[in-house]
Amino acid sequence: MSARGVRRFVADLLAGRRPRSFRADDTDVGPLRAAITLRAARPGSTAPGDEFVTDLHRRLAAAQTDQDVQPLPLPRPVVDGTRRRLVAATSIAAAAAAVGAVADHALTSRSPAPSRPGGQQTLLPNTGEWRTVSTSADLAEGGVRGFDLGTVVGFVARTGGALRAVSGVCTHLGCRLALNAPARRLDCPCHTTSFALNGELLRYQLAVPPPALPQLEVRETQGVVQVYAPPGPVV
Amino acid sequence: MGRTGRGRAAAARAGAGTGGGADVPAADAPQLRVVSGEFYPDWEAVYRDNVDRVYRLMFAKVGNRPDAEDLTAEVFLAALRPLRVSASAAEVRAYLFATARTVLAGHWRRTLGREITRLTDDDELELVPADDAVSSAAVGSSAAVGRAAAILAELPELYRRILELRFLDSCSVREAAAALGVSVAYAKVLQHRALRRAAQLLEVNR
Repeated sequence: MSARGVRRFVADLLAGRRPRSFRADDTDVGPLRAAITLRAARPGSTAPGDEFVTDLHRRLAAAQTDQDVQPLPLPRPVVDGTRRRLVAATSIAAAAAAVGAVADHALTSRSPAPSRPGGQQTLLPNTGEWRTVSTSADLAEGGVRGFDLGTVVGFVARTGGALRAVSGVCTHLGCRLALNAPARRLDCPCHTTSFALNGELLRYQLAVPPPALPQLEVRETQGVVQVYAPPGPVV
Repeated sequence: MGRTGRGRAAAARAGAGTGGGADVPAADAPQLRVVSGEFYPDWEAVYRDNVDRVYRLMFAKVGNRPDAEDLTAEVFLAALRPLRVSASAAEVRAYLFATARTVLAGHWRRTLGREITRLTDDDELELVPADDAVSSAAVGSSAAVGRAAAILAELPELYRRILELRFLDSCSVREAAAALGVSVAYAKVLQHRALRRAAQLLEVNR
C-alpha cells in the first residue's frame, strides 16, 4: 500500500488543506474513507463560506447570460422505489392539474412564478356532501367566516356579492391559517406567508413560493351557506 | 498541485455545453412531471435553496473545504446550465443529486484512482427530504457525526482517544501525544493503526 500517500493525504485533511493526489491502491481505500468520515464530523466545519457562496453565484450568473436553450434532462424514472418516491407518488394526482399549465415555464425566466394560471385547484372529494358553514345572515357582504368541518377547515367570504370558500391550511407545511380581519387576508403563523381571501398567495419569505390555496365548492340555499366537503368528522 | 477552482470550473462549464465531460443523467423520461407542489421561480432560487445542502454533502464525502467548494461549483455549473423547463423542487433536487454523484465519482477518479466515498441513496434522502422541515443544516453533518461516533465507540480506548484528539479536537500530533502521555513517534503509529481499525469497522458497518 502507499503508506506515504495515505499519510500525506491524512495530514492535509487534518490541516484543512486540499489533499494531494496519489495513486491509491485497494488497501488505501478504507483508511482514507475512515479519515474523511472522522474529519467531516469535526464540529463547526460543514457549512459553506459566505464568500464562496457569493462568488459561485456570480460565476453562475455569468454562465446564465450566454446559455442556449436545452430541455432539462430529467433524472431517471421516478419509479425505482425509495421511500421518498413512494410518498411523493401519492401527490401525483394533486399535482397533475397544475403541471400542464406550467409545462412551458422556464426555470431560467425572471417572470414571477407564484401566480401560475390554473394553479389554484378546487377540492372535489371522492365522497362529499353539502355541509352548512354559516347562515346567510351571518355572512353579509364583505364578511368572512372560518369553519372547521372535522375533515376540512377553511374560510368562506362574500365579496362583491359572490361567495368563495378556500382551504384554511397553509400550502407550505400545513400550518393552520388565521384570519387577519383588518387586512382581509389569511396569515400563516409559521413562516410569514399570507393568502388573499380568494386563495391567492400574497406574500412569502420562502425560497419557493407555495401554491395558492385550494378552493371549495360553495353554494347558498334556504338561508344557509354550504361547502362541498367530505362527511365527517373523522375520528 | 496547480489545480485551481477556477480552472476546473471552466472545464466543467465547457463540458456542460457539449454534453460531454459533465456526464449528466440522460433525458430518458421527459414525460415525467411528478410530485411536490413547489416550483422554483428561477435558477437563483434553485441555487439559494440548495447550495448549502450540496456543499454539506460534498464536505461529508471529501472532508476538506477546497475540494468541497470546487465540487459544489462543478455540480451547479454542470446542472444549472441545462436546467430549464418546469420541474418541481423535488425533481430539481433529484437532478442536482444525480449530478453530484457523477461529479464526486469523477473527483476520485482524477485524484486517487479509487472511489473512496460515494453518494448513496441514504444521502439522497437527506438532500431530497420528503418534507422541507428537514433543515439544510442537518444535511451531511448529522449523518457524518453519527457515523463517526458509531466508529469511535467501538474502538479500543487508546485508538479512540488519538482519533478524537486529532480529527475532532484539531490537536496537533504533538499536542495529542502530550495528552496521551506517549511519544510523538508513538502517537503517529497509534493514529495510523487506529485509522486501519476504524476502516475495518466502517467496512463491517456498511
